[in-house]
Parts: sequence; structure tokens; C-alpha cells
Amino acid sequence: MPSSPPDSRPLVELRGVTKSYAEGDSVREVLSGTSLTLHRGEFVVLLGRSGSGKSTLLNLISGIDQATQGEILVEGRDLGRMKEKERTLLRRERVGFIFQAFNLLPTLTVEENVRLPLELLGRTGAEAGARAHELLQRVGLEGRAKSFPDRLSGGEQQRVAVARALAHAPPLLLADEPTGNLDEETGKHVLDLLEGLTRQGDACALIVTHEPGMAARADRVLTMEGGRLVERPGGARKGTP
Amino acid sequence: MKTLLARASLRHLGGHPWLTALSLLGIAMGVAVVVSIDLASGSALRAFEQSTDVVAGKATHQIVGGTSGLPEGVYTALKLRPDAPEAAPVVQGFVQVEGGNHRTLTLLGLDPFAEAPFRDFSTGNAVGDVGALLTKSGTVVMGAKTARVLGVKVGDTLPVTVTGLRRELHVSALLSPSQETTERALESLLICDLSTAQEVLGQTGRLTRVDLRLKDGEAEAARLRAALPRGAELVATSGRAGTVEQMTRAFRTNLTALSLLALVVGMFLIYNTMTFSVVQRRGMLGRLRAVGVTRGELFVLVLGEALMLGIVGTIAGLLLGILMASGLVGLITRTINDLYFVVNVRRLSLEPFTLIKGLGLGLGATVLAALVPAWEAARATPVTALRRSTEEDSTHRQAPKRALMGLGLLLLSGGLLAWPTQALPPAYTGLFGVMLGCALLVPWATEKLTVAAARPLGALFGPLGRMAARGVTASLSRTAVALAALMVAVATTVGVGLMVSSFRGTVVAWLESALQADVFVSPPSLVARRGDSALVPGLAEKLRSTPGVEASGSIRVVHVRIDDVETDLLAIDFAKGHERTYRFKEGRAEDVWRQVDASRDAVLVSEPFAFHRGVHAGDTLRVSTDKGLHDFRVAGVYFDYGSDVGTVMMPRPTYDHWYDDRSVTGLSLIAAPGQDVDELVSRVRDRAGGEQALNVRANKALRQASLEVFDRTFTITQVLRLLAIGVAFVGVLSALMSLQLERAREFAVLRATGLTPGQLWGMVSLQTGLLGLLAGLFSIPLGLALAYVLVHVINQRSFGWTLQLVVSPGVVGQAMLLALVAAALAGLYPAWRMARANPAMALREE
Repeated sequence: MPSSPPDSRPLVELRGVTKSYAEGDSVREVLSGTSLTLHRGEFVVLLGRSGSGKSTLLNLISGIDQATQGEILVEGRDLGRMKEKERTLLRRERVGFIFQAFNLLPTLTVEENVRLPLELLGRTGAEAGARAHELLQRVGLEGRAKSFPDRLSGGEQQRVAVARALAHAPPLLLADEPTGNLDEETGKHVLDLLEGLTRQGDACALIVTHEPGMAARADRVLTMEGGRLVERPGGARKGTP
Repeated sequence: MKTLLARASLRHLGGHPWLTALSLLGIAMGVAVVVSIDLASGSALRAFEQSTDVVAGKATHQIVGGTSGLPEGVYTALKLRPDAPEAAPVVQGFVQVEGGNHRTLTLLGLDPFAEAPFRDFSTGNAVGDVGALLTKSGTVVMGAKTARVLGVKVGDTLPVTVTGLRRELHVSALLSPSQETTERALESLLICDLSTAQEVLGQTGRLTRVDLRLKDGEAEAARLRAALPRGAELVATSGRAGTVEQMTRAFRTNLTALSLLALVVGMFLIYNTMTFSVVQRRGMLGRLRAVGVTRGELFVLVLGEALMLGIVGTIAGLLLGILMASGLVGLITRTINDLYFVVNVRRLSLEPFTLIKGLGLGLGATVLAALVPAWEAARATPVTALRRSTEEDSTHRQAPKRALMGLGLLLLSGGLLAWPTQALPPAYTGLFGVMLGCALLVPWATEKLTVAAARPLGALFGPLGRMAARGVTASLSRTAVALAALMVAVATTVGVGLMVSSFRGTVVAWLESALQADVFVSPPSLVARRGDSALVPGLAEKLRSTPGVEASGSIRVVHVRIDDVETDLLAIDFAKGHERTYRFKEGRAEDVWRQVDASRDAVLVSEPFAFHRGVHAGDTLRVSTDKGLHDFRVAGVYFDYGSDVGTVMMPRPTYDHWYDDRSVTGLSLIAAPGQDVDELVSRVRDRAGGEQALNVRANKALRQASLEVFDRTFTITQVLRLLAIGVAFVGVLSALMSLQLERAREFAVLRATGLTPGQLWGMVSLQTGLLGLLAGLFSIPLGLALAYVLVHVINQRSFGWTLQLVVSPGVVGQAMLLALVAAALAGLYPAWRMARANPAMALREE
């Protein structure tokens, strides 16, 4: 069973979560009785082979998808008992999501993509502009604010996606293979960014990856095996007294 | 809506200028067709109503007579009464200006001394001598505008013809009224003294009517009515507008129905565009949901986008509609002149109501059509929206289910169409249901047919052929939507085309059986299908005795009031010894003829008359005769395609019994055996001499002329069909083009893996060709079903005509050609673009 620091209230709690999909006449179980607790300030890495259910777990935590069985609580609120609109609004306010395929909106500029979560929260005008500018500066893209995503390289697009996910300073950051499409150096840069921004903002990041090397910088390392989670301490935790 | 979301939408539309333009064109054309028809027919009717109102003036009631008007004595007796009301005698008829464009004008004969309470043409300016009307016979005054158009000045002679007789009128003054309505009415008026009108129109001693202003209303009317001689009737003028309304109702309903059909096609195009735009951006919509955009916000986003397209398209449609209406007004006016009454429309009246209706219709149709796609966009869970394969899987899975739903809907619509009612709304709902039902069958049918086509295409074109076929099923969620829209658009053209050809076929068959004589003689008439002019006295007898004529018959057409509605009454003198070629809908021919020949109280009614008035064989009709109102028994209902408002027929002896009129409107002459018909025609012409201009036509020529009138009245329908074809063409083009443009990335992959531009072009063309072929094939059964509904349900309920549905291969061939040509054109641009594009650019994320 994964452990957690005893002194803080959980940000995310999964209790016996099962997720299965119908495929033709058969049913495929992706997650079976998974439990997990995440706290603020944690940088958690989730490893696992392709198709092991990592992305499904992220989708369930963000409320994009729903569990077949079990409970998922975000800041104490049970997603299963929330209406679709409430789940969407929770995601809008409390979650930042980074996709492997970037998923930027092609018809919005880089700056507009970053401002989108702020606008959805009703934060428009100079404040939103300044926040977008600040984040773009931090991801090193201040010069590309007016460009459209298709003019950017993969690494640049992913940096925009990171800035977008962090724009509204969400307490929970979910990243689905954020470096999967990037070369090693760019990937490292993106991870540095993610880690730095997470730790500064006292948020919790759950990063899905294939790369075992990432475990070195994580507080906790989770591995998805046969629909269940196995945990070991990450490199960052090992080094702490 | 959030600014950034709106901006993203706008940029999406701007990023696909071709598709946006085509969908705007679809909306604009749909709106334009409805608005133009409404404006044009509205203008024609308003022109008629305005001129009737001005001519009727402030009269509250009118005394009208039988077939040949009223004797002058009615007016004199009225004025001699101690309680004489304000009254003015009127003689009114039509004259045709000789030369120029043969414009038809209303000749209005008035008594200037009795006119003051009724009409005032004196406001404004008058050039010339108005007083000459009283002092000089044959003098008229007219509107200055009309005079300018006709090139007539004060003091000029204006030659006119009246029922084929030439007359000369002297223009003594030109009027420029200050009121616009009077000015408009004057555009088609010639005003003269009572006696001049009587002389010119050949109504000496008779009046068309006496206008009255009754202060005590109905009480006074009842008093006066009691004192009227037999054959004279006192009616309220308020019923007049109703008559025009009733006469043209079916015609206008038909036009409205056809224009609405164009809008329905337009709606399918909008639906197609919006569905496409949603399907195309499913990924993007999923991303939005993932970052926290709610379902409601997405729904509003898609609907807002549609509304934006709707606003631009509708405004363009309104402008296009006004432009088209100026062209259509001429066609509609000609049809109204051919079928119902003489009307001159010189300008389009832009009714704000029509424009507002067009605006509402355009926006309403757009929003309605976008509701389903918007709902689909909002309904999708973010996780499935992000994955395209899920969408395709579910489309394939649901195809049989949808097909079953479609079948169910078809059955339901069939039931609605078969529901025994005369109301039109269930018919239109059924029609729409049939379209929707067929649309639901499309995904399943497409899958089956394309799988079947893959093998022969593969054999013919190799792997490219197989890829082209598989591409259709692989993206069934998109192709099915496009195909459904195309099917509806093309089927509409088939349906309307078959309706017109069936109608024409029925009329041709009817003319062949109805026109049995060899030579037909009649004076020219101003309303083609309502020939009510008469031959000059004695001429009929003279022509009937032309050498070479074995037998002859005659027809007299008059307007009488039946159950208070003006109706065409035909009095037929059948050629002796020759078969009467009428076919009966109700009643057995022998029984019917026995009854009407034996009794002076029996009449026959045409199918549309029976339909509109709810009359059946055995019922009675109250007809105004020269001997007063009389109840006639309906002996039978005959098939007739000459008038959509319907006619009543009686044998000549019955007519002569009830009416004092002995005139003849037309003659039918049967040539003696061995007599050359062309020779007989010239002999009849010689015998008629220059006494009266006459149409003397051989059977074939008359059939030809009748069909020309028919074709003329259907020109407007053909124009609408062409417009529907235009809308369909745009639909095919936009649907297939968007389908191919959307696959840019896939094509880029193919190009990157070694497909040459030529091969790519071949594959795209094969696929669009296949889609065009499928659309054409699907449209045939739906087109036939639409034609069936239009002919047997909608047309029957609008006009009351029984028509034979004739499937013309030409119309069906045209539809296939339309689908294939549009498909071929639709493939050109995407193939050209992709063949030229750098695959690396297309491979980058859009």
C-alpha cells in the first residue's frame, strides 16, 4: 500500500478504484481495486508499460473519465457523486493537464492558449495577460507569444502546454507522458520546469512516463502493474533525512 | 461566450474559407429562394389588390349582375328611391394596347357627377382637358407615367383591341396623382365616361356594377336587396379581397411549398456544415472539455458559430432574394395573368414583414439545423472525443440501429401521409420524416455498398481503388453525414422534376382526350385559361356553316357567383352525333349525361371545384342566374386540368334557360370526312374576315398553345427546381470538398510514403466519384418517394387534381449527372492542393 506523509490532508484519494471497458462482447479491466493518496508538494512519477492503464488513471483523477467502481476524492470531494458539470468546473479550477500530444488549440495563438484557463475562470484583461507573459517567460517562449502552435517545434509546443496547465496555479498537475514526443535535452528542460513550478506553487504533480530515469527526481515512484499500483520512494525522497 | 473560445471559432471558419463560403452560399440561397418567391407573388397580389381598392374606391357595397352585367335601369330606379343611397354606376373591362408590348389596361367608365363620394383621381396635377371626357365621345384620361411608357401625349390617339375588335381612344389629359397608391393604380387604368366605356366594351345599356356607400350597413343593404330585380345581387365589398385570396391560394401554397423545400435542402446543407465542423474538431472540442469547458459552454459555442454563419448567410440571402424577386415577379405576374386575372406589376413592393420572415426563417433554420451537431459536440465525453477511433467504432456499431430507426420513421411518415385529411401540415411533416428516415438509412447502406464496391474497384484500379473504397467506410462518421445531405439535395431535384413531368404528362393525356374537334375558334383572351371574350353576334352561326364542317359545338365561359364565390361557368353545346370525351371521377358517364340532358337543374363540376368546395355528386349548388339564385344538383365530378380553382359546367340548353346571354366564347368544328383540316382553317379565317380578330387553330396547334400556357405557368416551378439544383450542387461540392480537405494529413502521409501527385489525384477522384455515385443512387428512391408525395399528397391537397406519376428517365439521369459532376469538381481542388503541397507542412499538426 503506498504511504504518505502523516502531517497533511490528502489532495487526491483513490479507494478501490476499478475501471473496465467493453470491447465487443468481452470486458477488459484496466484498473482493478486501485488505491492511492496524493498530497500537496509531492512530485510523483507513474511508470508502467504501454496499455497498463496510466493514462486511464489520469483521466479518472481529472474527472475526464469515470470509474466503474470505487471512490475518487479530490480535495475531499467524491467525483463519483458529482454531476458532469461539477466535475468539469472542478477540473477547470483545480487541475492542470498536460497531454503527450500537446493538445493545444490550433486556432489560438501561444499567448491565447496560455490565457484560456484564466479566461474560463473569468480572469481577463491585464492581469491574465501579465500571468501569461510571466509563464511564457519562464518556459522561454516570450518571443513566440503571437505565433500559432503549428509554427512551433514539438518541444516548444509542450512548453506552451506546461505554461497553459500552470496558468491558473492549480493545486493538482497531471501530465501524461509530457516528454514522450521530445528529445532528451528538451524533455529534461520541460521536466525541470514542471518540477520547479510545482514545488514553488506547493502543488502536487503526477507525471506519467516511460522513462525510469525520471524516478531520480521524484518524491514517490508508482508503477502500474496488472491494473494495480506498486510504490517505492523516489530519488528525491531517498535523499531527504 | 468566452472571448477566446469565440476567437477560436472565428479563426476556424476563417481558416477554411472555401467551406465557410459554401455553407454561407447554402444558407443564402435557401433564404433567397423563399424571400424572392414571397416578395414576387406578394407584389403581384398587392398590385392587384391596390388597383382593385382604388377602382372600388370607398364603396361599402356593390350591386352586381349576372353574366352580362346589369341593365342601366337598375341604377336609375335606385336613384329615384326616396331613400336613395350614395351610388355610382361603373362600367369596367380590359383593353389591350396595340403595338408596343401589348400592355393590358383596365378601362374604367364612370359618371363624373356621381363619383365624388367614391373615387378621387383629381388630387395632384392634370395636364390637358379632363372636361373633354364629358363632351367628346371616345375620350380617356390616363396616368402620366403610363403615357410616358407607352409614348403617348395629350391629344394622341391610342389604338386598343377589345376581344379581338379594334377601337381608337383619344387621350385628353394625363394625371399625376399626389397619392402613391392612386398613382400605382393609375399605372394600369384608362378612365373615361360611362357611355364611352359602354361603347368600347360593347356593353351598351349595361353596367358592370353600381357602387354604393351604405351608412346603415346591413340593415340598409337588406332593404335595398328586397327591391332589386331578378338577377341583380347586392354584395359587400369586404368579400372582394377574399375572392382574390381564395383564387390564388393553391398557386401560392404551391410556390411556398416549393420554396420551403429549397429551404429544407438549405437546412440540410447547414446541418451538414455544422456536423462537419463538429466532427472535424472533435479532437479540439475534447481538448476544450479536458481544460474545463463545460458541455453547456460547448453547446453555446457551436450554436453561436452557426448563428454567426446564419446571420451573414441570411443577410446575403435577403439581398440575393430581393435581386431574384425582381426577375421572378415577371414570371409570377405572367402565370397569374395566364391563370387567374389581369394584373400589371411595375415594381417590387418590399414588404418589411417578408424580409423579417426571411430573417427569422434563415436564422431559425440555421439554429435548428445546428442543434443536433451542437448537442453531439456537448454530449461527447472528453475521453472519447479525444480519440477518433472511438467515434468511428460507434458510428459503425450504430449503423444498423440507425437504419432500423430510419425504417421506423419511414413507416411512421407513411402513416402520416396516408392519414385521411386534407390538411397540409401533416403532409409536410410526413415529407420531412421521409427525408430524415432515408438519411438515417445512409450509414448502413453506405457501409454495405462500399464493402461490395471495394473488390471491383480493386480489380479495376489496384490498391488505389481499394483504398478509395475503404476510405469511405473508414471515416463513416463523416462520409455518412455528407452523403445524407447530398441525397436529400439531389432527391429534391428529382422529386420536383418528376412532379412537373408527371403533371405535364397528365395534361397532355387530358388534352388529347378532351380536344377531339378538328378546328377551334375563339377571340383572343387576356387570361389564357379563362377565355371569357365573346364572338360578335352572328359570327358563330356564320362560321358553323362553313363548307367542310360536318358538325360543330360551342362553349360559353362566364363568371357567376356560386355560393357567394365568383366561379367560371362553362356552357357547352356538344357537337351532335359525336362522343363526349369527359372522364368522371364521380358518377357513371351514361347516368351523368342522361341527368344533365334531361333536367334544367343539373350541373357538372370539375375535380378541383369539388375538392375546394367540398362538393360531391348529388349535392346542390346555389348559383346566381339571370333569374335569380337557383339551386342546381351536381350530377357528376369530371377530371379537368384547365383551372386549379375549378369550374362548373352545364349544357347550353340549361344555360339558355337560366341566362339571357346568347353569346359564344368559342367554337369547335369537326371536319367532314376527307376534308383537309389546314384548308378548313384557312376557309374559316376567310369567312370570319376582318370583323373580329380571332384565333382559328387546328387541333394540334391548340394543344400546342395549351401546353405552352402550361409550360409558362410551370416556368416558375422550373426556376425553383433550377435553384434547388444550384443549392444541391453547392451541397455536393461543399460536403465532398470538406471531406477531402479534412484528410490533408492522411494524404500527406501517403505522399510521404511515395504516392505520386497523379496517384493521389486518381485516388481522391475515385473516392469523390464513388461518393457522388452513392449520393446519386440513394437520391433516386428518395426522389421517387418525394415525387409520389408531391403528386399524390401535396399537390392533391393543394389543388385537388388527380395526377398520374410518370417516371421520366431524363430527370433521373439528370440527378445522377448532377451528383457525379459536382463530385468530380469537388475532388479537383483538394487533389490539386494536396498534389502541390509540401507533405512536410501537412504532416505538422494542424
